[in-house]
Amino acid sequence: MDTPESSRRGFLQSGGALLSAGWIAAHWPAIARSAEEARAQLSTPVSMTAPPFRRFEFLQPLEALDVEAIAEQIVPSGATPGAREAGAIHFIDHSLVTVFDWQAAHFRAGLADFQHTFAQAHSGSAFGHAAPALQLDYLRGVDHTPFFALVRQLTLLGMFTLPEYGGNYRQQGWKLLGYVDVHVFSPPFGYYDARYTGFVPYPTTTERHS
Amino acid sequence: MSARIFRPGEQVDFVVVGSGAAGGVIARELSQAGHTVLVFEQGPRLGADVFAHHDELKVHYLHGITNDPVTNPQTFRDDPSRQARQLDHANPLVYARLVGGSSVHFTANYWRFHEVDFHEHSLLGDIPGADFADWPISYQELEPYYSKVEWEVGVSGLAAASPFDPPRQKPYPMPPLPVKSSGVLFELGARKLGLHPFPAPLAITSQVYRGRPACMHCGFCGGYGCEARAKSSSVWTVIPEAEATGRCEVRSASYVYHVDTNARGRVTGVHYFDAARRSHFQPARAVVLSANGSETPRLLLNSASNRFPDGLANSSGFVGKHLMFNQGAGVYAQFEHELNEYKSVQATRVLHDFYEVDPKRGYYGGGGIDARSSATPAAWASAEGGELPRWGAALKQRLEGYTRTMLCQGHTTSLPVATNSVSIDPQLKDAWGIPAIRVTYKDHPDDLKFAQFMQDRSEEIMQAAGAVRTWRTAVEHRRGGVHLLGTCRMGNDPSRSVIDKYHRTHDVPNLFLCDGSSFVTSGRGQPTMTIQALAFRAAHHIGEFARRNEI
Repeated sequence: MDTPESSRRGFLQSGGALLSAGWIAAHWPAIARSAEEARAQLSTPVSMTAPPFRRFEFLQPLEALDVEAIAEQIVPSGATPGAREAGAIHFIDHSLVTVFDWQAAHFRAGLADFQHTFAQAHSGSAFGHAAPALQLDYLRGVDHTPFFALVRQLTLLGMFTLPEYGGNYRQQGWKLLGYVDVHVFSPPFGYYDARYTGFVPYPTTTERHS
Repeated sequence: MSARIFRPGEQVDFVVVGSGAAGGVIARELSQAGHTVLVFEQGPRLGADVFAHHDELKVHYLHGITNDPVTNPQTFRDDPSRQARQLDHANPLVYARLVGGSSVHFTANYWRFHEVDFHEHSLLGDIPGADFADWPISYQELEPYYSKVEWEVGVSGLAAASPFDPPRQKPYPMPPLPVKSSGVLFELGARKLGLHPFPAPLAITSQVYRGRPACMHCGFCGGYGCEARAKSSSVWTVIPEAEATGRCEVRSASYVYHVDTNARGRVTGVHYFDAARRSHFQPARAVVLSANGSETPRLLLNSASNRFPDGLANSSGFVGKHLMFNQGAGVYAQFEHELNEYKSVQATRVLHDFYEVDPKRGYYGGGGIDARSSATPAAWASAEGGELPRWGAALKQRLEGYTRTMLCQGHTTSLPVATNSVSIDPQLKDAWGIPAIRVTYKDHPDDLKFAQFMQDRSEEIMQAAGAVRTWRTAVEHRRGGVHLLGTCRMGNDPSRSVIDKYHRTHDVPNLFLCDGSSFVTSGRGQPTMTIQALAFRAAHHIGEFARRNEI
C-alpha cells in the first residue's frame, strides 16, 4: 500500500527531474516567431542570455506566449535580468505537471478566462502580442485576481528557486538579487558590520549586575 | 550505550508523544533518571546532510518538513458562528513534522520570559474580551531551568547586556554570534533614540559546543534544518543523549492518534499507526503529550470516551481554548551599502525597551524588536502585503536592493481569547481517517493596536539608522501561526485549567502535557526557550513523582 510518507516523498522528488531540452517543434515556427517578436519589443542588453526554447510540457503555444508576457511584466527585463532571462516560463510550465500539478486545472481555467476577457476588449488579439504599455495597463486592472496571484507566485519561484526545477536559468534570478549560492561564510558579511567597533555595555546594566 | 528498541507491545514507563523542543528534553531527563521511555514521532528522522541542499521550493513551498495540507489538513474560520473551510492549500497551524519537531526549523531566538510575564493579570487586572490569568509558577521557580536550557541544549548570548533582562544565576555558555550589518544598523538607530539594543540570544553555536561545530553562517536558518548541526535542535542535542542511556527509543514515522484509558480513568497507553498505516497499541505506565499546541489538544479531543465525553482531561472545557500565536509587524529597510543579509543567522540584535505594558497607551501589549535578515531569495521576493510592491518596475527595484535590505520586526503579545481555539472539525479527516483540526481565530483588538505601535517604533529605528527607504509590512488579523500556544493552559483551579503546575492533567493522574499548549499567556514572541525550560522543570517533577510511586 502506498503510505502517506512514501507518496509524499515521491511528490517531492518528482520535482527534481531535469527538463527535457530542445527547440520548439518544427510545426510551431509561427508561434515561436511571434514570441520572438514580442520579446524584441523589450529593450534588453545583449549581455544577458535568454534560455533556449524547450519543449513545453503543459502549456499550449498560445498559452505560453501570454503567460510569458505576464511574467515579463511582473519582473521586467532591463539593466538586470528579468523573468524572461531567468526562464521563469519554463519553471511555470514544468511545475504544472510536477510539483504544482494540483494547480494545473485552476491555472488553465484562469488563463482561459484571462485570454477571453482580453480578446473581447481588444478585437480578438492575444495579450502576448499587445504592446507592452497596453499589457501593463491591462494587468493593473486584473492584478488582484487569483489567476494573477498564481502567475506572480510561479514567476517568482521560477526566478529564485534552485535551477534544477526548471527556472533560474544560469542563476540569473540570483544574479538579479546579488545572492551568492555558497554554504560557508565568515564575518564580516557586509559593509556595516565590517566597520563595527564592538558592543558597548550600558552603564545601568553594569551597575545592576557587577 | 546504543538506543533501546522495545519489543512490540512491551510496556514502558513513559510514552512521550512528540520529539520536539519539549518531548526531546523530557525523554532525555526521564531516561537519564532511570525510566524506560518510548518517544513517538509522526514524521521521519532526517540526517543533517538532507539540509545541505538549500531547497526553498521543497522545504518552504512544498511543505517538505512541515505538516502537509494534503495529508494533514486543517480548517479555519475567524468567526465561531460560521462553518470553517480549508485555506488555499495551506494549514493555519504549521509545525515541523520530523524527529526534532519545530526545534529543527525554528529561528532559534531564545529570549527568556521576564518576571512580569507570569503575574501580569495581578498587575493589570481583567482585560475585556480576554481570559487573562496569572501563571501558577513564577519566574524565580523557572529560572534554574532556563539556565539548564542555556547550558545543556546550548544557547549563545551576552548575559546582562540588556538593562531589562530578568535576574539570572549563570552567564551564557557561549558568546553571541558575530553581529551582522542588520544588527549594526539597528543598534545605531536604536541607540540614537535612547533605546537599549543588545546581542540576540540564540540557540545556535558560536563555537564548538558539546560535540557540535560552530555555525558556518550558511544563511538557510529560520525555516530550515541545520546542515552543520549548529542549531541546538532536539534531534542534534537532547535526543541522542536520551538514546545514549540505553533506555530510550525514538520511534519515527509513528503517528499516535488515540490515548487509551481504563475503567478507573487512568491512561493505559496509546494507539498509533506505523509507517505502513497498521494500527498498534503501545502500553505505558504514564503518558506525556508534547505534540505541540495544535496536536496535543486534538489528541485529547479525539480520545473522548464514555468516561470523558468531552475529550480526555477536559472536565474544565479548556482543552483547545485560548489559542495564541504572537502578533507582530515591522518594516523592510534599504540602505546605501551592502548588508548581505542572506548570510548567517536571522537575528543578531534585539531590544526589550517595550517589553512591559504601558497603561498610558490605553491598550494591552508588550514585545521586543529585532534586526533580522530579509530571508531566503524566493521567500523574500514573494513577500507581499503592507507597502511592499507586488509586481512591475517597483518590484524590480526592490529585488535589485536585496543585498542592501533588512527587516526590522516587532514581536508582540497575543491575548488569550476563549473563542480562539483548536477544535475537531465535524467533517474533515486526515489521510489516516482521523478527525482533523478546526481553527477558530481572531486577534483581540489590543493585539493589533500593539503590533501597530511596534511597527511605528521599528520604522523610527530604521530611519534613525539612515535607511534610504522603508516598506511597512501589513498589520492584520492572523490566519494562523507557528507559535502554537495556550490550548491546554496550566493553573491551580481545575475548573479553569487543564494541567496543574507540575504539568499533570487535573483529571487523569498518569497523563502529563508539556509544550506550547501549557502557556497561560503568550510571552513576547519567542516561546521555545520557555517551552524547554518548562520541559526540564516538568521532567524533574514527573521523575520525582515516579520515584515516589505517586503516578
